Amino acid sequence: MAGLDKIAEHFTRSIARGTSRRSLLAKLGLGMTGAAVFPVLPVARAATHPEGPSHQAFASANIQDPGDRTSCDYWRYCAIDGFLCTCCGGSVSACPPGTEMSPITWIGTCTNPADNRAYIISYNDCCGTTSCGQCLCNRNEGDRPQVRTQSNNDYNWCLGTKSSVYSCSTAVIVGVALDHPK
Amino acid sequence: MTRRPVLLLLIGLAVGAAAPGAIPGVHDENQAHVDYMLKCQGCHRPDGSGDDQSNPPMRGIVARFLTVPGGREFLGRVPGVATTNLDNERLANLLNWTLYRFDPQHVPADFKPYTPEELGRLRQNPLRLDRVETRARLVAGFASGPSD
Repeated sequence: MAGLDKIAEHFTRSIARGTSRRSLLAKLGLGMTGAAVFPVLPVARAATHPEGPSHQAFASANIQDPGDRTSCDYWRYCAIDGFLCTCCGGSVSACPPGTEMSPITWIGTCTNPADNRAYIISYNDCCGTTSCGQCLCNRNEGDRPQVRTQSNNDYNWCLGTKSSVYSCSTAVIVGVALDHPK
Repeated sequence: MTRRPVLLLLIGLAVGAAAPGAIPGVHDENQAHVDYMLKCQGCHRPDGSGDDQSNPPMRGIVARFLTVPGGREFLGRVPGVATTNLDNERLANLLNWTLYRFDPQHVPADFKPYTPEELGRLRQNPLRLDRVETRARLVAGFASGPSD
């Protein structure tokens, strides 16, 4: 037991020698300040928004093309399945730098709320860098099962590009659909 | 939507007036172009150029199938044509338009446009996995054929 006494005494004395009497106050103060500042850090803010980081809204000035292009609710995204290039350094019709637009693409129609007409939208994928991971949007209107290969958007449409690595998706208007398809 | 019929009527009259010089077997060019955009161009490209890896080119070649035995049937049975979700009438309109739009120089002088009935018959028996082989056999026939 005497040995245990010695060890305890040595430990206590070494703490008493190595710390000042007010260090506890200093450490407590640091801890309290740290706890107060932590939520201000960006990583903490991201953690409190589980739906992902928000993006600054981007709408065109054209009243014929209404809506926030970083939002999955934007009308042109009605049949999209992927990450929005607008959130990834590109735009609704252009790829982010370092990626290549696939010439082979999924095509659908969406109704423009400004004039209630159906527009033909080409969802060209941007390929060549790792998945963007921002603004996932998966609305799939008009999507067909995989047995209808041409009309299914679950495939990787990075075909005909140098790299088949998918990064994000655009939504380009290529035409106006007929109002009364016969 | 209700105001459109008038516009469509006007377009219809315009198309009707232009009918004598129109494409054989194509009753509505506008419809054909829209159907091409919706059903074909995602893979075959807006100009029909395609590529040899994923989707075969149509520009400058598609009408040559009409010059070899079995080629006319091939164009009606190839999966992209036979299994597309269009009715026979729109499909015939689209296929005839495609031939003249992307390969007018190879359309035979005695070509009879596809009819909805003919396509309805051909698409009952679509090509599946044998499509690549069938196409290659027909294309091999081009070289010795009389066209070009």
